[in-house]
Amino acid sequence: MTFFQRVPRRAIQLACFVGAVVLVWPLLPWAIAPRFFQQISPFVSLASSIAARSIGLGAIFALIVAVASSFKKRWFCLYLCPTGFLLENTNHIGLRRTRWWSKLPPVGRYVAILTLVGALFGYPVLMWMDPLCIFSSPFAMNRATNPVSVILVSLGLGVLVGATFVFGMAWCVRICPLSGFQDMLFAMRKALWTKLTSRAPSSADSAGKLGGELVKISGVSQRPALARRAFFAGAGGALLALGARRLGAARYRKSDTLLRPPGAVPEDRFAGLCIRCNNCVHACPSKIIRPDLGHEGGLAGFGAPIIRYDRNYKYCLETCDACTQVCPTGALTALPLAQKNKYVIGEALVDNNICLTALGKKECDACEIACPYDAVKITWDEAQYISYPVVNDKCVGCGACEVVCPTNPVKSIRVWTQKPA
Amino acid sequence: MRRSIAAGGLFAAGSLMPVSSTLADQAGGESASQTERRVPATTTGGKVVQPRRDVPVLHKTSVLVVGGGPAGTAAAFSAKRLGVDVTLVERYGYLGGLATGGLVLGIFPLYNRENKQVIFGIGEEFMKKLDVLKYGIIDRNKPPVYPTIDAEAFKYTLASMVLESGITAYLDCWGVDAIVDSRGAVRGAIFESKSGRQAILADIVIDASGDGDIYAAAGAAFEKVKTNIGLISRIGNIDEVDMAPGRGSEDPTKPSIGRPDEGGRPSKGRVNDFSGHAGNSTPAPHVNWLNMRGPVGDALDVSDLTEFELKHRIGTWGNVEKLRQKAGNEQVYLTETAPQLGVRLSRLLDGVKKLKVDEIHGGAKFKDVIGYSGAYANAPAFQIPYGSLVPAKVENVLAAGRCISAEFEVADITRLIPVCWVTGQAAGLAAALCIQNKCKPRNVNVAKLQDLLHQQGAYLG
Repeated sequence: MTFFQRVPRRAIQLACFVGAVVLVWPLLPWAIAPRFFQQISPFVSLASSIAARSIGLGAIFALIVAVASSFKKRWFCLYLCPTGFLLENTNHIGLRRTRWWSKLPPVGRYVAILTLVGALFGYPVLMWMDPLCIFSSPFAMNRATNPVSVILVSLGLGVLVGATFVFGMAWCVRICPLSGFQDMLFAMRKALWTKLTSRAPSSADSAGKLGGELVKISGVSQRPALARRAFFAGAGGALLALGARRLGAARYRKSDTLLRPPGAVPEDRFAGLCIRCNNCVHACPSKIIRPDLGHEGGLAGFGAPIIRYDRNYKYCLETCDACTQVCPTGALTALPLAQKNKYVIGEALVDNNICLTALGKKECDACEIACPYDAVKITWDEAQYISYPVVNDKCVGCGACEVVCPTNPVKSIRVWTQKPA
Repeated sequence: MRRSIAAGGLFAAGSLMPVSSTLADQAGGESASQTERRVPATTTGGKVVQPRRDVPVLHKTSVLVVGGGPAGTAAAFSAKRLGVDVTLVERYGYLGGLATGGLVLGIFPLYNRENKQVIFGIGEEFMKKLDVLKYGIIDRNKPPVYPTIDAEAFKYTLASMVLESGITAYLDCWGVDAIVDSRGAVRGAIFESKSGRQAILADIVIDASGDGDIYAAAGAAFEKVKTNIGLISRIGNIDEVDMAPGRGSEDPTKPSIGRPDEGGRPSKGRVNDFSGHAGNSTPAPHVNWLNMRGPVGDALDVSDLTEFELKHRIGTWGNVEKLRQKAGNEQVYLTETAPQLGVRLSRLLDGVKKLKVDEIHGGAKFKDVIGYSGAYANAPAFQIPYGSLVPAKVENVLAAGRCISAEFEVADITRLIPVCWVTGQAAGLAAALCIQNKCKPRNVNVAKLQDLLHQQGAYLG
């Protein structure tokens, strides 16, 4: 490669990197811009479309990228990928002591296969490994409310940069599912091209051989070992998807405090569809959406967003639907404000053995005043001869009552995971 | 003139009509009517009819304060200090109103959001007098925790202050009607007591009755509201289970008492077993005061009041029995239920200025500010204008205390004890200014009023 060939690539990469920052920050006045950033990735677009059984607008960009990548090998990585740009430059100044990873199989494409097969079962298992999600995640740091959140949102990119500094480009070359996916696209296009140009004469037996041909054109059939790996990856994806969905559903039934942001798909699929891009964490003006350390959602839910209501922050505002608008994968359905305000995050329950009003301690009706949905009423109970807050079915679990409740350290009114009646 | 009384109502339609304006002229010669044989009411044509009678004048004064609660006492003391003649009338046998007889012992809201005290003046003087009494007041100057006073200590303080001040006071004396002249201006009020029905003539009347009884009788427009009516009580021997607030307390600095089910998911409709203990500590050792929010009722309906007086005492006894069943609480007993029902709001004046809820949330500033309320619930500390104390139409009367001119949500804050001190003090000084300058309350020189408030230590921002 000559000097003049290199410069434009660097320039394009730099421009894309700046563009990525502008989209994700977001420096545009367009609040939903971050959503289209991750959707540029054809891997995320395809896997989430399969899993959600619907195609979003962002799929257009993804299609362009996919077509371009199938003609120029790893075109996306070389020109567009901001993570790639960052890691290339890290590698430049890095130690590059070892290339042991060059002996690794191309893990990325198996990750992609596993995820896409998982997506067929509604749970794109490793979609969160997409480099664009990893890139955007640390931008949520300005909404972080504690050191744990800071570490969680910057973990992915931090590990990649660190590993690249020490080991070189292992991630980009071998592990990244997006580059693996591009390799598959390229190989498939090439195989298809060859197939079409060399025109097999007979078509009578083609139906019987279709399966074999498909394996062949998928680019993993050059060696039987590769086909076997692809098969295991696919089977693994299916099993993991089904298992994770069962565990997720079970965990939700058992949990009392698992609260997801508004618009979240049912819990069995949420942790799969969520790519940990932290767009929702970043978008939340109340700072109530936090990445989960795994306390609530388990290992599968590590890093996925949960809602926490604290004394020092606000609640899920009735004037805001930002988080639902920025989700690139549909883990949070894009809801208009009126519908978001009907989405049930959880249910507020009162412990009237802590409540200041019930215990005759204070003239307190903070929860009733705070409730934007008219769902809490301090009610006189003639039988018990005390008053306490009673929550009606208008409650969506926005947490307005919980954040204002003055009891300490445990709030008398708190939002809990909603249980079926 | 015949006066007919409709059955059941505390305030019959007839009593809203002004008493004959000639009364003032007749008054001098008839002060000894106590000994006269009274003509009782009779039934005529299915109606109960009370014959016309002349009302003896008990007393003549410059400023008449009806109601000896937080607002009334604050008004009387501050007016008296300007050297005007002040008469204070109270329906119960003690002073302090809901702060003593109602057992509303928590002095809130005193502080703004930044934990700075915004209510001083006469209220601060009261608290300073309580400071020097043993078991008089606790939690002074510990924002955001509010001070709690002792009812008996405060009764003692107010009684001593009244005797020292030279105020003419009548206790066990219930203001039942306004005296209005031919132009509709208030000239005094009618009272019922063991001495019978008597009049007190005054140049300015301050209605600190809480229910706005006098301005309503004088024909001032008002809004009638209904809200919760409870009955506060004190429970004794409770320190062994709870003298350390924290859990269930809004004081984040105090340690919490753990419970076995701490932080657990509460079931819907869970019954209160008082395991979170009950009430707040008071200056008296081993004694907590126990608030009751109570059901919604009409504070101007004697049957509602009667029902609550009876049921609340039964309910309170029952809850203390329940409380006693918890381990460690076996020795808890009911010290007393409050002599007075906890009536929160009844009448709200239609004043020159109706204080609006948007204004208090928007931090409205008033040229005629007479004081502040502290921050309470979701409302920040806010200014109270003088216009809220002045009726829109009727002359010579000022409202003070919970019945001033404010929207319901605002009145739900201005009804609280220290805010009543603020409006009471302003009304008292304004009335004294009216006497000194021979003007109507609505024409009071506000700058002068604010100056006087400053001199008496009030906080105006």
